[in-house]
Amino acid sequence: MIDERIEDLAASDALGMLEGADLEQFTAELTRSPELQRLTAQLRQAATALAHMAPIAEPPAELRARVLASASSLGLDPGLPAALRLDGRMVPFRSWIPWLVAACIAVAAMWPERLYVRAESENVSLRERQRVAQLALEQTRAQLGDARRLLTQSGRQIAELSANLKAEGDLAHLKIATLASMLGNSPAALAVAVWDPTREEGVLAVSRLPALASEKDYQLWVIDKQYSSPVSGGVFVVDPATGEAHIVFKADKPVHSIAKFAVSLERKGGVPKPEGPIVLLSD
Amino acid sequence: MLSLFPDSLSWMRVVTLSKENVGYFRMTSTGDIDSPEERANANSELMRRMASGDRDALAELYDALSRPLYSTARHILKDASEAQDVVHDVFLTLWKNASTFDSSRGAAFSWAVTLTRNRSIDRLRTRANRARLLGNSVPDDLGYGSENEMLGADARVDLGDRAVAVRSALAELPKEQQQALELAFFSGLTQREISEKLSEPIGTVKARIRRGLLKLRDALANRL
Repeated sequence: MIDERIEDLAASDALGMLEGADLEQFTAELTRSPELQRLTAQLRQAATALAHMAPIAEPPAELRARVLASASSLGLDPGLPAALRLDGRMVPFRSWIPWLVAACIAVAAMWPERLYVRAESENVSLRERQRVAQLALEQTRAQLGDARRLLTQSGRQIAELSANLKAEGDLAHLKIATLASMLGNSPAALAVAVWDPTREEGVLAVSRLPALASEKDYQLWVIDKQYSSPVSGGVFVVDPATGEAHIVFKADKPVHSIAKFAVSLERKGGVPKPEGPIVLLSD
Repeated sequence: MLSLFPDSLSWMRVVTLSKENVGYFRMTSTGDIDSPEERANANSELMRRMASGDRDALAELYDALSRPLYSTARHILKDASEAQDVVHDVFLTLWKNASTFDSSRGAAFSWAVTLTRNRSIDRLRTRANRARLLGNSVPDDLGYGSENEMLGADARVDLGDRAVAVRSALAELPKEQQQALELAFFSGLTQREISEKLSEPIGTVKARIRRGLLKLRDALANRL
């Protein structure tokens, strides 16, 4: 009884697919098992029959002539000299002479044919090499096209990345702060200040601050540790309906390291130093 | 591995099967039908004559075997020119090594098929290694039957009897076993590559090949 594992190996052998340790194991089993030898022979024969599955195609007529011409150029089979032994009896050398003469004539006669076959063979080989080279060229061209497309695409990606990095870099050095309300009667008041140290300019967006009487202004302060008192960023009023304001501001003095922003309630037109109550303050 | 089948010895690996084994029929010009055994004997006689340098015997063997061999090579390589080169080389190998042929060890047809398949797959792999072209060489659809219109009516009758028997036997197999056998014989892929192509475990592929081949053996034995 042959187990399935060995039957697998026999089937693989029949299709020429055995290799490595499987081949060694199968060869060893085959040597000692007549039953496996029978199965192997049957499977190999069945595998050979698979050739009939191929769609039937007619070989070109010239192939027959080519095969026969090539066979002629090769001469007789190496086994033929044994026939000259005439069942083991040695033929005297003298009797070989006519055969040798005939052989020489035959070789001379076949020489042009041999040259033709050799040329044809070289031609076939050259055609094959040309075809392979052509395929390689086409593949290289395709790869080159792909590479160019990839390069263009990569260039675009690099440009996008550079732009993004630049934007991120620009953002990275901005000072952004949220100002929370210090007012008991308007706890929802809020402001965001963005300061660009390169341009020494900032933007302030305010919401929900209460409207002021006409003699009052809100005043923005920039707190830089190099100065003993806050630096004024200007005065502003809010929309009475929404409590909103958007202003672009500059500090009255050069600032390098902003610690905080603050908004105070001051008299109309502003003051050099904060006098009124702080209504908004950043962290 | 194909390298285990050296050209001069590969026929020794295929044993001729008698009545209990597989063969095929051929319709002769007179309407008679050769039995597989008669055909094998006729081919063996041609090989014996070739061994003594008889070119006519080579021509007769060519006429008897060239169509299935060319069909096999063309189906594997998908290239008429390369298939012609393979068939040319195979018949020259048979011619050069005719004196080593022993009909008790294998049928001439089996030897020739083995040579044809091995050389075609070798070329297929060489082609792939040279220019990574295998992707174009192993189509998903192996396309059986698509080239039959190339053959004349007489040839269809002649080859049809053999091919029909095999194809009928194959049609009785489950589809997955048919697919595994087709890929194993014609694609030049290893079992691992077949398992990847089919997205199935390699053990499943091996089992399908084994079961399919065993069933094919039994079916052909009953049919022919």
